Amino acid sequence: MNNKTLLKQGAEARLFKADFYGRPCIVKERFKKNYRHPTLDNTLTAQRLKSEVRANLRCRMAGILTPTVYMVNFENSSIYMELVDDAITVREHIAGVQEQDRSTANDVLKPLAVKIGQTLSKMHENNIIHGDLTTSNMLLKGEPSDVKLLLIDFGLSSFEASAEDKGVDLYVLERAFLSSHPNTQQLFDCILKSYRESTKNKKSCAEIISKLDEVRLRGRKRTMVG
Amino acid sequence: MAAYIKVPHTLYPDKTITVALYRNVSCKELRKSVMSGAIEVSLLKTSMVIDEFQVLVAANKALHLQHAGTMMTKNVHSEILFCLSPSKNISESFQSFGAADSDTNVVVAIADDQDDERLDKVSEILGKSPVALTELSELADTKLITKAYKVSADELNSYDLRDAVVSRISAKEIITAGKGKV
Repeated sequence: MNNKTLLKQGAEARLFKADFYGRPCIVKERFKKNYRHPTLDNTLTAQRLKSEVRANLRCRMAGILTPTVYMVNFENSSIYMELVDDAITVREHIAGVQEQDRSTANDVLKPLAVKIGQTLSKMHENNIIHGDLTTSNMLLKGEPSDVKLLLIDFGLSSFEASAEDKGVDLYVLERAFLSSHPNTQQLFDCILKSYRESTKNKKSCAEIISKLDEVRLRGRKRTMVG
Repeated sequence: MAAYIKVPHTLYPDKTITVALYRNVSCKELRKSVMSGAIEVSLLKTSMVIDEFQVLVAANKALHLQHAGTMMTKNVHSEILFCLSPSKNISESFQSFGAADSDTNVVVAIADDQDDERLDKVSEILGKSPVALTELSELADTKLITKAYKVSADELNSYDLRDAVVSRISAKEIITAGKGKV
């Protein structure tokens, strides 16, 4: 393998930096988990690999930015994709802005919140459920005046039209948002407002938001009766 | 510097991929040699190729599938053609992405060409040397490519056509799974 260097180690996969025919690329390799039954492990790994690539493509087709996939290796469950130059995660960005001046942070971050809302609205309108929306799974690149938002890490994604799944998707983001960034309830409300404004189908949007309220009360898991 | 490129495969550095472009030639003779099995190379339609990276991604995948033993077609060179195409239909892929007798330009992709033996043979049959691959951009029919790969206007707003095409090539079996007849 040509000069793979380890970038990050997560719970699901390792990220390497490598070269793909002259282009810098990221190799995301899902490793075996010995604590899981081998059959279950293989099924889950293959499933996540596939849904990651599928959702990545579907998002692109809807005009949402994602890293370009260069190669899928089913043999060792790895994906070769574009290395997004000079990108930082939304998480790092928010933390950085908050560190500079906590009192004005929410105002500075408002345009970003609007952008996140628009992007998620577009994603849900195409019935793509991300499954793991966090500020670490959103990347920012480009000039501050024309910043681009990329979505990454679609391993837990699915395709559902139901308001329930979309509501849970937003709920997962809300929890991640508020737990990783203090004093950002206002900012999250801003994301929701922009989400509402961008969604063309007002009726289904109202349904999603009311599901979100419902999920907030009961948690992510559905009540199982009968 | 030579006009063509020859690079080692990302996963198997002992295997190589060669890509070369020929202009103002007659493909008829060369196609005959390839069809009869006299020379094993892949002949691609220049109008369907944006740049060499697109061919590299397809060839990279074909060699990988050969190694994994999961090729859909009978040899690695037909597999390069099939990988390049977004279609699941093999003969349809050959028709729209393979060079035709009447074509006067052709992209040649070769897997594992030791000492450039087969490339030299292609040059000999065509009676020409390969030209710079940068000329591919003049020959690509972006309208046709957009249509063949079903790239929407929404997508072209955010991406260039090459990236859209490349992702479809690399994810082909995943996005076409379960859709339409095999």
